[in-house]
Amino acid sequence: MIETVALGKTVASSEGDLQILAGINLSINSGESLAIVGASGSGKSTLLSLLAGLDTPCTGSVSLNGQDLTAMNEDGRAEMRNQYVGFVFQSFQLLSGLTALENVMLPLELAGDSKAKLKAQMLLERVGLAHRLTHTPKQLSGGEQQRVALARAFVTKPAVLFADEPTGNLDSKTGAHIIELLFELNQEQKTTLILVTHDKQLASRCQRTITLEAGLMI
Amino acid sequence: MKRLNLALRLLWRDGRSGELTILLAALMIAVSCSTAISLFSDRLEKTMNNQAAEFLAADLVIASPAPLSADGLAQAKQLKQAQAVEFPSVLIEHEELLLASVKAVSALYPLRGHLKITDNESLTTGSPSRTASRNSETYEKIVRHPPAIGEVWIERRILSALKLKLGDVLTVGEKPLRITHILLYEPDKQGDFFSMSPRVLINKEDLAATKAIQPGSRVHYLYQFSGDEQALLQFKQTIKPQLNPSQRLVDVHEDRPEVGDALSRAERYLGLSSIVVILISGVAIAMATRRYSERHFNTAAILRCLGCKQGEILWLFSCQFLALGIAASSIGTGFGWLAQQGLFYLLRDLLPVQVASRSLFAMLFGFATGLAILLGFALPPILRLKKVSALRVLRRDLEPLPTSAWLVYGLALSLIAVLIWRYTQDLKMTATIIGGSLLSLSILGGLLYLLLIKARKLLPHLNLTWRFGLQALLRNPQTSVSQILAFSMTLVAMMLSFTVRTDLLNDWQLQLPANAPNHFALNIFPTQLQDFSADLKRQQIGSNQLYPVISGRLVAINNIPVQKIVSKESQGERATRRDLSLTWSNSLPNDNKLVAGAWWNAENAPKNLVSVEEKLAKNMNIKLGDSLTFTVGSQQFKSTVSSLRSLRWDTMKPNFYMIFSPKTLDDFPSTYLTSFYLAKNQKNSLNALVKKYPNMTVLEVDLILAQLKTILTQLTSAVNYVLYFALLAGFTVLFAAVYATLDQRIYEGALMRTLGANRALLRKTHLLEFSLLGFISGILAVIISQVLVFALYHWVLMMDYHPNLLLCGLTPLIGTLFVTLAGYLGVREVANKSPMLILRQQ
Repeated sequence: MIETVALGKTVASSEGDLQILAGINLSINSGESLAIVGASGSGKSTLLSLLAGLDTPCTGSVSLNGQDLTAMNEDGRAEMRNQYVGFVFQSFQLLSGLTALENVMLPLELAGDSKAKLKAQMLLERVGLAHRLTHTPKQLSGGEQQRVALARAFVTKPAVLFADEPTGNLDSKTGAHIIELLFELNQEQKTTLILVTHDKQLASRCQRTITLEAGLMI
Repeated sequence: MKRLNLALRLLWRDGRSGELTILLAALMIAVSCSTAISLFSDRLEKTMNNQAAEFLAADLVIASPAPLSADGLAQAKQLKQAQAVEFPSVLIEHEELLLASVKAVSALYPLRGHLKITDNESLTTGSPSRTASRNSETYEKIVRHPPAIGEVWIERRILSALKLKLGDVLTVGEKPLRITHILLYEPDKQGDFFSMSPRVLINKEDLAATKAIQPGSRVHYLYQFSGDEQALLQFKQTIKPQLNPSQRLVDVHEDRPEVGDALSRAERYLGLSSIVVILISGVAIAMATRRYSERHFNTAAILRCLGCKQGEILWLFSCQFLALGIAASSIGTGFGWLAQQGLFYLLRDLLPVQVASRSLFAMLFGFATGLAILLGFALPPILRLKKVSALRVLRRDLEPLPTSAWLVYGLALSLIAVLIWRYTQDLKMTATIIGGSLLSLSILGGLLYLLLIKARKLLPHLNLTWRFGLQALLRNPQTSVSQILAFSMTLVAMMLSFTVRTDLLNDWQLQLPANAPNHFALNIFPTQLQDFSADLKRQQIGSNQLYPVISGRLVAINNIPVQKIVSKESQGERATRRDLSLTWSNSLPNDNKLVAGAWWNAENAPKNLVSVEEKLAKNMNIKLGDSLTFTVGSQQFKSTVSSLRSLRWDTMKPNFYMIFSPKTLDDFPSTYLTSFYLAKNQKNSLNALVKKYPNMTVLEVDLILAQLKTILTQLTSAVNYVLYFALLAGFTVLFAAVYATLDQRIYEGALMRTLGANRALLRKTHLLEFSLLGFISGILAVIISQVLVFALYHWVLMMDYHPNLLLCGLTPLIGTLFVTLAGYLGVREVANKSPMLILRQQ
C-alpha cells in the first residue's frame, strides 16, 4: 500500500543543514496497522507528513497505492489525499465555522458525493454524536471534537488513515475511549492505519511498530 | 454547485461570528458614497444640460459675425432650426434717443425654453429682481413663439425712455412696428449685470424692411439647432471643421451659467472626495481581509489536507468574497440612493425645481465600484490562502509567502487611478493627483514611521502604563502609520472645508468698510443726472462718482483682430466675446493705482487715449502705446494706450477695464452708472427712486451677496456631507486595525492578568494607546491643513492667512476623543475575558 525508498528530509538552519530523517525504507501492506514511536524531535511527525503527501522529501521516494507521490505536484498529491487518505490530528483540526455534521460532510462534498449528509449523519451516530449534529466545535468537549474528527476521517472510507498523537490533547479516560473507537472503525473498514504516538501501550495495539531516533529507523 | 453551497455556508458562519463586520461596513461605506456621488453627478449633469439648453434656447448654436452659407445650413436638415440676428440700433421717438439691442428671430424661435411677456405697463420698478418676483405671481405670460410680423416686443424701460406705451408704434431702422407686449425674459440673453442695452425683439421677416443692417454694421448671427443627440453630434462634427476663427460653436457643455460653474466644480470636488472615502475604506478592507485571510490559514490547510487543490481553495474563498461583494454593494447602493437624495436636499436652492431622474447606469456604476474595490484591495490577501501548505495542520508556524507588493499596491493604485480619471476626465491631472498624493503620503508616512521608531527610545524611561500604551502603538508601526494617515486625511479635508468657507465669507465682509456700497444704479440718462444726484443727497444716501457708460467691444489690437491674438484658453478671451462697459474720466478713480504710463491732464486731455486695467492688459498682451480698435454700435474708433491701472474688483464700486480720455466717446449715446450704500432702514427710499426713474436698473448687491453666501454654505455642506463618509471610513480603518491585533491583545492581556496586572491597568493602557493615536492624527491634521490653507490663501485666493487658533486647538482634542472612544469600544473584551480560558485555547 505504502512504500518508501531511502526517504530523507533535511532543513536548512543557521548552523548548516539539519537532517531530520535519513534512509527510511518502509513497506506497509494494505490493512496493516503501524505505529511510529520515538522521542520528541525524533522525526515521527515529519515521516507521517511525507507518507501522507503533506510534505515532499529531499531524498528518496514515497509511493501510495503504487503511485509515486514524490513525482506529483501539490495538486496531484491533494487529489491522492482526497481519494485514499484520512487524517486524525492531536489538535482535532475541525473548521470552527462549521457544525459537527458539516465538518464530517466536508470531505465527501469535496469529492462530489451526493449522499454526503446521509453518510455523515450515519457516521456521527456511529461515534455516538447523533445528538450533537448541529453543534459547532466550540460547543463540544475535547473528546467530542476528536470523535467528530474520527467520523470525518472515516466517512470517505479511506484506504489509509494517518493519526498523529490522536489522544495527545485528551485525558486518559477520554483518550482510551477514542482509541477504542479508532480501532473499531479501523477494523470495520479494514483501513491501513499509520499511527504516530509516544505512548508505548497504544503502539502495542498496532500490528507493527517502528521506532525513530534522531531521524533514523532503529 | 455543492462547492458554492459550501462557500456560502462558510461565509454565513463567518458572517454570524462577526468576522466580516468590518469588511462589510467598509465596503458598504465606499459603495454608498460612490453610488451617491455617481447618481448625484449623473443627475446634476443631465439637469444642467437641460438648463443649459434652455439658456441657449437650443441644443447647439453657431454664433457668427456674418451669415452662414446655405450649404452649411443644408447639412442640418435633420435638425430643427431657428435663427436670431442681433445688432445695436439707435431708437428715436418723441425726440428721445436710446441705444437698443435689436434681435430679429425666426418662426421656430425659441427651440428650447420660453419667453416671458406681459401686457401690464403699470409696474414701475426698474430692478429686475423686484419686477421678476412680482410678475411671476400675476402678470407674466409664457410663450414659445416670436412676435408676429409687424409687431415688436420690448423691454419695459424702453417705454419710459422713449415716452411710449403699449400699442404705440416704434420705428426700428426704417420699419414702423406695433408694440404689442413687454418682454420680461428671453432664454438666451447673453451678457452680465452690466449689459445695458435694452432688448427689442422683432420677427425676422421684418428685418429686411428695417434696413438697419448696412455694410460694416456690427451684427451677430445666431444659428440655433435642436434635435436628437446622434443627429446633433453628426452635424457638430461635420460643421466644426468648416467654421472660420470668428465663428463659434456653442453647445450645452460649453455654455453654463455662473451657478452651473460652481455646481460643476462642486461635482468634481465631490467626486474626488468620494475617492478619498474609497481609498480610506480600501485601507480598511485590505486590513480586514488580511486578518480574515490569516484567520483562515488553518481552514485552508485542513481543506488542502482533505484534498482541495490550490485552484479550488482560491475558488472557494473568491466565491465567498464575490457573494460578500454583491451583498455589500447591493445594500451600499441602496444607502447611496438615499444619500444622494440628501445631497439634492442640501443643494435644493441652487438647483432647478425639476431635477433630472435617476439613472440605472449610475446605480450600476456604484454597484460595480463595490466589486472593483473588493478586487483591488481584497484580492491580494485572498491569494495568500491559495499558497497555504497542507503541512500547516502539523506545523502551525508555517505561513504562506506574502503576495507580491507590486500586485498589492498595483491593483489598488490602478483602481484609484481609473476612478480619479473618471471624475477629472484628464490624464495629466490624474497623473498629477496620483503622483502628488503618493509623494506626499510617502513622505508623511516615512516621517511618521521614523517618529514611531524613534519613540521606542522613550520606552525605558516611562512607567508601566505609559510603556504598555506606547508599546501597543509601536508594536506594528506600519499599521499605526496607516491609521494615523487615514484619520489625518479625513480631519484635514474637514478642516479645509470649514476654514475656507468661513474665511471666504468673513474676509469679504471684513474687507468691505461698514458702509461699502451695496447697490448699483445703472441706465441713468444724462438728463436725469442732476435730479438723481440731488435726490440721493436729499435722502442722505452717500454715493460714488457717476460714470458715463457706453457698451462697446474691443475688436483689434494694433490693427490685428483680437481673435487672432487671444487664445481660447486665455482669460482675456471672455473680454473679446462680450461688450465691455466703456467710460471716460478726467481723473483717476480713487481706488485705482497707475502701474504704468501717466494719467492725462484733466484740463487739456488729448482725445483717443485709453487707460487699461492691468490684468486684462497682461492677458491680452496689451502694452503702452498700443493702438486699440473698438466698435460701438456700427461705428469704429481707435485709441492709444496711455496707462495701465491696477484695481480691486471686490470694492463694490464701479470699476472699468477701459477708461478713455474725455471727449473720446462724445459721439455715442451714454447712460450713467453709480453705486451707493443703503442701510436696511433706508430700503424704502429705493422704491421712491425706482418709481421716479423707471428707466433705471437697481442691482441690490446685498441680496446678491446673501445668495452667494447661500451658495457657498450649501456647497460646503454638500462637501462636508461626503466627508462624513470619510470619517466613517476612518473609523472602519481603526476598527480593522484593532481587530487585526485583537487575538494578540487578548492573549497578551490574559498573560498580563495571570502575572498580576489588574483590569484597570489594561484599560488604562488601551485608553492611552488610542488617545495617542487620535492626538497624533489631530496634530498632523492641523499641520497639514494649515500649510495647505496658507498656500491656498497666499497663491490662489490672495487672502491674508490668519490661523484659526480655536479650530487648531480643538481638532487634536476631537481626534483624541473620537479615536479613544471607538478604539476602546473595540478592545473592551480584552480586559473582560477569562485568562485561563484564553491561555488554554492557545
